[in-house]
This record gives sequence, C-alpha cells and structure tokens, in this order.
Amino acid sequence: MALFAVLQTTFLLTLLPLRTYQSEVLSEPLPLTPESLKVSINSTKQCLHLQWTVHNLDYHQELKMVFQIQISRFKASNVIWMGNYSTTVKRNQVLHWSWESELPLECAIHFVRMRTMVDDARIPAPRFWSNWSSWEKADAQNSLGDHPLYVFPKDKLVEEGSDVTICYISRNHQDNISCYLEDELTYGKQLDQNVWAFKLKNVSFHRKTGTNFYCKGQGVPEGVVLFVSKVLEEPKDFSCETRDLKTVTCTWDPGSDTGLIQLPSYTLFESFSGKKTLCKHRNRCDWQVTQDSQEVYNFTLVAENYFRKRSVSILFNLIHGVHPLAPYNLFPKSVSATNATMSWKVSSIGHNSALLCQLQLLGEGKVIQQHNISVRVNGEYLLSELKPDTEYVARVHCAYADHFWKWSELISQNFTTAEAAPSEAPDVWRDVTFVSGHPTVTLFWKPLSKVHTNGKILFYNVVVENLDEPSSLEVLSVPAPANSTKVTLNRSSYQIYVTAHNSVGPSPASAVAISGHPENENVEEGRVNGTEDGFHMSWKPQSRNATGYVVEWCDDPQNLPCVLQWKNLGPTNTGTVISSDAFRPGVRYDFRIYEISAKGMAHLLEKKAGYLKELAPSYNPEVATINLTSHSFTLSWKDYSTESQTGFIQGYYVYLKSKTGEKCHREFEKTVLPDNSVGCKYTIDNPDQKTFVVKDLQPESVYEFFVTPYTSAGEGPLDDFTKVTTPDDYSHILTHIILPMIFCVLVVTITCYLKSQWLKDKCYPDIPDPYKSSVLSLIKFKENPHITIMNVNDCVPDAIEVVNKPEGSKIQFIGTRKSPTETKGTKPVYLDLLPTEKNYSGPGPCICFENFTYNQAASDLGYCGHFPVTPQAPHCQLGPLTSPENLLKTLEQNYMNSLGEIPAGEANLNYVSQLASPMSGDKESPPANPPEPALCSEYKMQMAIPLGLASPAPSKNSSLSSTALLDPSEHCH
Amino acid sequence: MLPVAGEPAAGDSWGMLACLCTVLWQLPAVPALNRTGDPGPGPSIQKTYDLTRYLEHQLRSLAGTYLNYLGPPFNEPDFNPPRLGVETLPKATVNLEVWRSLNDKLRLTQNYEAYSHLLCYLRGLNRQAATAELRRSLAHFCTSLQGLLGSIAGVMAALGYPLPQPLPGTEPTWAPGPAHSDFLQKMDDFWLLKELQTWLWRSAKDFNRLKKKMQPPATAVTLHLEARGF
Repeated sequence: MALFAVLQTTFLLTLLPLRTYQSEVLSEPLPLTPESLKVSINSTKQCLHLQWTVHNLDYHQELKMVFQIQISRFKASNVIWMGNYSTTVKRNQVLHWSWESELPLECAIHFVRMRTMVDDARIPAPRFWSNWSSWEKADAQNSLGDHPLYVFPKDKLVEEGSDVTICYISRNHQDNISCYLEDELTYGKQLDQNVWAFKLKNVSFHRKTGTNFYCKGQGVPEGVVLFVSKVLEEPKDFSCETRDLKTVTCTWDPGSDTGLIQLPSYTLFESFSGKKTLCKHRNRCDWQVTQDSQEVYNFTLVAENYFRKRSVSILFNLIHGVHPLAPYNLFPKSVSATNATMSWKVSSIGHNSALLCQLQLLGEGKVIQQHNISVRVNGEYLLSELKPDTEYVARVHCAYADHFWKWSELISQNFTTAEAAPSEAPDVWRDVTFVSGHPTVTLFWKPLSKVHTNGKILFYNVVVENLDEPSSLEVLSVPAPANSTKVTLNRSSYQIYVTAHNSVGPSPASAVAISGHPENENVEEGRVNGTEDGFHMSWKPQSRNATGYVVEWCDDPQNLPCVLQWKNLGPTNTGTVISSDAFRPGVRYDFRIYEISAKGMAHLLEKKAGYLKELAPSYNPEVATINLTSHSFTLSWKDYSTESQTGFIQGYYVYLKSKTGEKCHREFEKTVLPDNSVGCKYTIDNPDQKTFVVKDLQPESVYEFFVTPYTSAGEGPLDDFTKVTTPDDYSHILTHIILPMIFCVLVVTITCYLKSQWLKDKCYPDIPDPYKSSVLSLIKFKENPHITIMNVNDCVPDAIEVVNKPEGSKIQFIGTRKSPTETKGTKPVYLDLLPTEKNYSGPGPCICFENFTYNQAASDLGYCGHFPVTPQAPHCQLGPLTSPENLLKTLEQNYMNSLGEIPAGEANLNYVSQLASPMSGDKESPPANPPEPALCSEYKMQMAIPLGLASPAPSKNSSLSSTALLDPSEHCH
Repeated sequence: MLPVAGEPAAGDSWGMLACLCTVLWQLPAVPALNRTGDPGPGPSIQKTYDLTRYLEHQLRSLAGTYLNYLGPPFNEPDFNPPRLGVETLPKATVNLEVWRSLNDKLRLTQNYEAYSHLLCYLRGLNRQAATAELRRSLAHFCTSLQGLLGSIAGVMAALGYPLPQPLPGTEPTWAPGPAHSDFLQKMDDFWLLKELQTWLWRSAKDFNRLKKKMQPPATAVTLHLEARGF
C-alpha cells in the first residue's frame, strides 16, 4: 500500500511538468532568447558593438522582435542605460546593435545583457519577455600597457559647440594629477578609484592641429587631441551651366572652412538619371552629359562630413544654361587709315549651333561702335569710319544664339589705323624784330591736334616767298617737334607758308604776310581786368576789310625768352576771352591785339595789360634818404619798377614814426600799423612819384620811416622801419664858425700868455697911481673928502700887532716867481706878519689880505701881515690862491668863522679885496653882522712904498723886525 | 625650454643662405682644399661653425612658429617633459667626460649621423604640416640643414676621415605611426625640435673646439659659445 502511494506520487510529479509544458506550447509561443551575445569596443567611435543571434526560429519564419538591452558600468549592478531595439529577425540571423558611450570606453569596464520579446502582430498576445542573457563584459583596459597615466578618448573628432567627456586612468594613486584644456586648468569628477572624468562643454575650435587636453603628474604628461570641426555650412549660390553642351559645371560657395585637415566631401546627384559623381573640388563639380539627350537635370549637391550632411538642389535646363567659351584668335585682318577688318574664331557648341557674337570698338576707353554678328566657326566684320593713325581696341564676346543666357568672356585686340596726311594747316604766328633795319621774323606754330595730325608729324616746311621778287623762294625744313624758327628777311614784302608733314604728306599751308617795314608801335596801352574765366578784352576795329584778329601774349612773362601765345579770331569778332592754364595771379600779362588785313598783314591795334588777379606787392622799394636837414629829409625810391609788380601800383604809403610819439605831421594821418604800433601815414596816389620830402621835423630827433607800394589788393609787406636822426640846428655854425674862432682865440691866448710880460712891458707898464687907490677913496669918504693922498698919519690902526720875531725866522718872499736873489733890489716885497699865540694879546688879532695886483711894492711893508710865511714854502706864488694848501684851508676856515661866532683864542682872518671894495659899498647900510671893533678894523692899511724906501731886500739871512715898522709914531688911530 | 620666437623676418635672406649652403656643399669638391700647402681645413671648419650658429638662429624662429602650431603645452616656455618614447632620435646630450674623450673623427661622425637622422625626421615633419607657410619654413630649414650636413662632410673629407656608411636596414624612415596618438606625435615633434637645437649647440662646441685645435696658437681666436635655454 505504501509502495503504491509512493509510485502514485512519483507519477503525478512526473506528469505535472509535462502538463505544464503541453499547455504552454499549445496556448503560447515559446520565448526566444538572444544567444551568442558578443560585445566589442570601437574606440574610434567610442561604441559598444553588440552581436547576437536568435535561435528557435522556423526556417521561413520572420518575426518582429523587441530586444531590451541593459548596460552597466564598473559593475553589473550599476546599470547606466537601458533601452529597446526592435527589428525583424530571421532564423540564425546575426543581429548587430551599437551603443555610443559618452564616457570613453577605455576608462571603465562595461557590462551588457539583453532579453527579447516577440512583437509580431501575427502572434497573439500575451507576450512575454525572455530571460535575461548573461552579462557580457567589455573591458578595454586589458589592452592598455603599463604607463602610469592614460587619457581618453584618443584623437576624438568633435563638432564645435558640442560636449565631450574626457577621462584619465592613473595607475599611481599617490600621484597628484592636474589636467588642462589647452592652457586652462580643468576640474573633473572621480568615477572610480583611479578614474576621473572631465566633461567639456561647448568646445571651440583652436587650430587645425586640434585642441590639446593633457594631464600631468610627476611623469611624462599624457594627453589627447580633440579635433574640433566647425559646423559644416550649407553650400550657397549653387548653380550649373554648360560651356559646350557636353559638360555641365556646377559651382557653389562652400562657406567657411570646417578647420580640419579632413575636408568635407561633396557629391553631386542627379535624380532623373539616378547618377552621382564625387566632386574633386570643394566649390565646383563637373557632370558629363551623356548621349541620351537629356535636357533637364535635377541636381542635388550633398556636402558631408563626419557630423553633418547638407544638401541643396537645382533644376537645370541644359539649353538654358549655355555659357559659351570665349572666342579666340581675334585679330585685325586688314587695316587702312579709316577701315579695319576684324576676324575671330569661336568654339563649336553642340551640333553646329550658331553663336551670337558682339564686336565692340573702343576708342580712348569708350565703346564707339558695337556690332552683332552670327557666327558658327569663323567671325569677320569690317569696321569703318575710323580715324587715321588712331589706336583702337576691338573686343568680342559671344552667346548661345538659340537661347541667350550669358555672354562669354571678352577677348580684345588692339590695333592702330594707318596714317594719312595732316588735315589742317598749322596755326602760325610771327614776331617781327628789326635788326639794322632788316626784319627778323620768328615764326611760331602750334602743334596740330591729334585729330588733325593723322600721323606723326616729322617736320615742318617753311616757304618764304618774296612778293617783290616772285621768283625768289626760300624753303626751310624744321624737324618736329620744333614749334618755331627764325628767318631774316630784306626790306621787302614777304609771304611765308608753313606746312606740317607726316610720313604720308603735307598739311594745307598756313600763310603769314610780312611787310618788311617796322610796324607802328605807338598805340596806347590800356588795362584789362582778369576774371576766373580769363581776360575779357575787346577792341575797336580800324579797318572794314579786316580778315581777322590776333591777340598775342606771353604765358610766362617773368621768364624769358617769352613763349609767344596767340589766339586767332574771325573778322566779326571785336572781343574775346583769353584764358590759359598758365595764367597765374599776381603776374602782369601784356596783350597785343593785331588786325589782319586782306593781304594777310598784321597791324598792331591795341595793347592791353592786366592781371588775372592783382596781388599786394611782394616787396617794398629800397628807399634812400637824401637831403637830410634838421627839419626835413627826402625819401627816394627811383629804382623801384612799377611794371613788374604783382598788381598795378596805385601809389605808395609813407609811414613815419617818431620816438616822441607826438602828433602826426601835416598831411599825415595817424594809423595803426600791422604790428599794432601807432604811426603816421602819408598816401602818395601817384605811382610815378618816387620821392617824398618829409618836412617839419624836429632837430636832433629820431624818426623812423617805411615806404610801401599798394595795389588794389593791398599794400606791400611790413618791413623794418629805417631810422633817421635829424641833425642839430647849430651844428653848422659850430662847424664853420665857432670851432675856427675857438682855435684862433686859443692861439692868441697862448701867444699872449707866452708873451704876456713882454706885452705888459710894452703896452701897459705898471704905473703906480696913488690917487686911484681905493683906500684913498675910503678915507676920503670917511673923514676928509679932500684928502687925495693917504698919509700914514691918517691911518688909525685899530690894533697894534707886536710881532716878536725870533731870531732865525725867515722872511718869505711872495708875489714873484723869481727867486729872492733875483728880486733883490728890484721888486717890492711883502712882509707877512702873522700873530703867534705867544705874543698875541688883545681882543683879537686882525689879519688882512691885500690885493697884490694893486700894489706890490708897498704891500711888502704892509701893516698887516698877509700870508704866513712858512719855512716849508720856499717859492711863493704870485697870488694868494697859490698859497700852500694847508694855509688855504686855514684861511677858509677862519673866514667862515669870522662871519659867525669866533671862538676865543682863535685868530680871525678878514680878506679884503682891493678891487671889489666890499666895504665901500656896504658902508651906508649897516652890516648884518658887523664885526666887532675890538676884533678888527674894517680896512687894512695898504701902502705904496717907493722902492727906494724899501728896506733892504730880504734875504734868507736877513731878519726884519716888526718893531721897525710899527713905530708908535706911525700908529694910526 | 624652447624659446618662442616670432615669425621669421620678412626679409629673411633666402639668397644668402642658398649661396652659403651651395658653397659649403661644394667644399669637398673644391680641389684647392686637397692640395698641399692649402690653408687646411681651418676655413671650412670656420664656415661650418658659422653655419651651425646661423642654423641655431633659424631654428629659434622655426621652433616658435611650429610649437605655436602644436598648441599648449608644447609652446609654453617652461614645458620640459621627461624624454620618453623618442629613443629613435639621436641623443645630443652626453656626459662631459665622455664628450671630452671623443676624438675628432668620432665627434664629426656623430655629428654627421645625427644630422642625417634629424634631417630625415624633419622632412617627415614637413610632409604632415598643415599650413603652407609652415611647410615653406620647414623646407627652408631642411635646405639649410642639408647644407650643414654637406659642410660636415667637407670637413671630414678635408681631415681625411671617411663618411659613415649607414647600415642596411637602419636608415631612418619617417612614417606616421598608427599606434601613436596625435598627442604623442606632437610630443615627438617637440622632441625632434629640441634634439635638433641641442645638437646644434653641441656642434657649435665641437666645431669651436676643432677650430681652435686647427689654428696656430699665435693666431688663435677664442670664440665663446653661448648656451641658452631651450
């Protein structure tokens, strides 16, 4: 029983799974498990590549299936991504799927597993996920070497602006590693024990050689280069054309460079034909037209690089886009003076299609003719109405005649037409001068304009025909480019013909008639005003038969010889405007107007002078100062030419300044000078007046003057003033009269002085006249008017001076130049008595100085001592003023003291001039400070002592006692 | 340290250099140099020395341009990584005692071999340069270096030394190694320029020494070689 039970249980247990299996097979599809899962690493693209198969499928079965994939990093449990992949699966099909990792795969171990589920509509629901496959490991680190540091991803290509994750693996945990993007320190995130990751956002382009990211520890730095590509731009201006209906050329603007060494690829697709071609250039692509006569093309240009694909399309009609090749071999087939036949060739298009060619003729850079010609292979056209000896440019371009779209490139060819004879006579004028009565004619002619030369002028022919001798012809040939020649003629009438010659022939002749006699130059000169247009001038015709007029002038009259200019005018003209580029402001131009007679003779009609624009004078005259007197001087600037100035000189300004700055002289006006100083100005309004007299000046005064001319444009430049000093009024007298007189007086004086003694002796010897003594008059005035001779008794001395002359004292002789020995017995001698302190008594001494010129004989016996005779004065001078210096001082001092208080004990000196007689005039009026009687008598005794009465002549050894002179009986009271 | 110099001067004398190189290249072929009584190898040594100094100057300019082209850190003045992985380059640095112990022949042979290798690598550098201007500068320098090589050969010939013959299979070839990352390639370029400059210094010293040795003592002229930081 027990055994039965066991068997039953075992059977049931065996049947249970079978039951289960049967129910599943019948009711649900079997789960299809992915098998043979393999994971590989693509380091370049940083992709995990999965490869697997699904078994258990019928041979003909195709099922749509979903694969669920899980990816883990570092460890299987760390799932970082999970996603589904749907595809149709066949039996034994190897399936592929890739996953791009943000983190470089070398930096981490990755694990992958998947499961599957049938997702086919033919299989009824419900559907079940199969079991997970086992984890497959992807480990890129196995392939690394033994370097201490690795940085990944290697050499990654990224687009500018994208984000990149960079990681490093450090084998040395102790190493302190820092990483840099270019030269900027970058901070990362630690993913594992030895793995760090750096997320670089918005990477930018640095250079074609890539952006460097490197890490460095203690060893060799390790790094990667990120090749950053600029964003690929869409091609712009995509267009196509054909040059020959055989090749279509498409062009475009690729935009800016992506900055990588690897250039983007450009491919041209044509949708109608389904063909494509890889372009060899980044901006141009050629497409070969096949023989199937496809006319319309739908081109698509695809630009592609690692990151992007850009495309642009265009619908192109072959016939409408024909741009013919440039014609070639353009040349002038035949060229004459006025015609040229141009020939050229074109490249054939298609099947003998015609081209429309345009031939242009350019002269002096401008299109002057344009012709359209239909051309198949060779083009030819005759250009007419050309000018001789003229350079032209012929150019041609062509377009497709059936449908014009674009001209071909231009080709051009220069050619020059042939020469022809000059078409116009040269414009000739003459200048006639007479040398020794013979006319010398200088012929001038103007070069023919290019329009008329028709070639290069080689020479000019001058034919001189003597009208008085018709058979006489003289021919001169003047080689070009000369424009004048000189011919000497006789006193006959001449006709001169001038022709210009080029290689083809002569021009029409130009004739000039010469009379052979001097012309009338006595014509009044007028003035003409210049304007911006030139000189407007008019004249009065003199003859009704004038065939024309000529105005002549010099373009540059300041430089000689004159380059003669002239202007021909018709007979109806009575005025013209003379203009020239050579005209300059401030230059005087002289115009001569000639009238041309019917015989071709020229007669001077008028002269005119003018300035295009008058300027202020450029320089001032050199002014000379003449006739300088104390009250005037004359200014002269006669050398100043009024003709060659920068304007018509209207007059002169004379500026005058004086040092004193006084008022301006008459006719001068006060003005402020350009240097802000004030001066006087006189205006001379006659340009021919070149002298000016400055009058009414002060003698011995400094004046400054300055003369400047003025024109209608202003006055001359401000120069330095010239100084003039007027002389003294009497200087001439001094010079002519006084100085000679002084000289004469000096001579006479010297002579007289030298001969004074002689003169005196001869003319007025000294005759003593006692009656004329002033002393006498004084006495007479005082007491007895009748007394005429002074007696000794009349003299009342006020004081008696007792001179106690010690022995040995010497008596000095004064008043003569001769030595005492010479004067002995012949000259009166004065004896000076000086008070001494020892013998002085009384209220005061009285010392009188006598006039020696008056009485020399008696004075030496004078009552009063006059001069101190000192032993130190061996030679006494004639006058008192020649006394020794110390004496003079003493005298002066004492005299001054006598006028005031006299100190006690001091001697008073009172000088009385005999001639001046001071007291005689002052007697009636009391003196302001009358002298004290006790001090001194007013008058000193002066006596004329005859020579015979004179005491023995003093000598050095003689001594004269005063007592002998001062006898009491003779004492005056 | 590589000095970062500016671009070569606009008036850099191509003509002068070409003339100099031509003259130096032709030196071995000048019969006068081999005659008895000739001035000897002195003038050619002097010219080789001058060319070495000129190349130093030229390399400073080229290196500045090229390192800027590589970008940081290669153009940084203080970038001085350990020398690894560039064993193929001839190493210029040598122990002073070893250098002193070298004889003239060995010295010249080493110079010749080194520049032969460096010239080959330099031409490879030129091929991969991205800009036309850089290619022009590199080509210019290669021409100059070729001249120096010829000059050394001339000196060796004048002194009677045979030119070293490259062993078969050891000729240096340049190939963009696929195993190399771009960063390592840049590092190689950096080391190439650095070794080149070190070799030029060494050559200047070598030729200066040789020049002194060949000159009579009375007329000896001392030339000081200034070694500057790389």
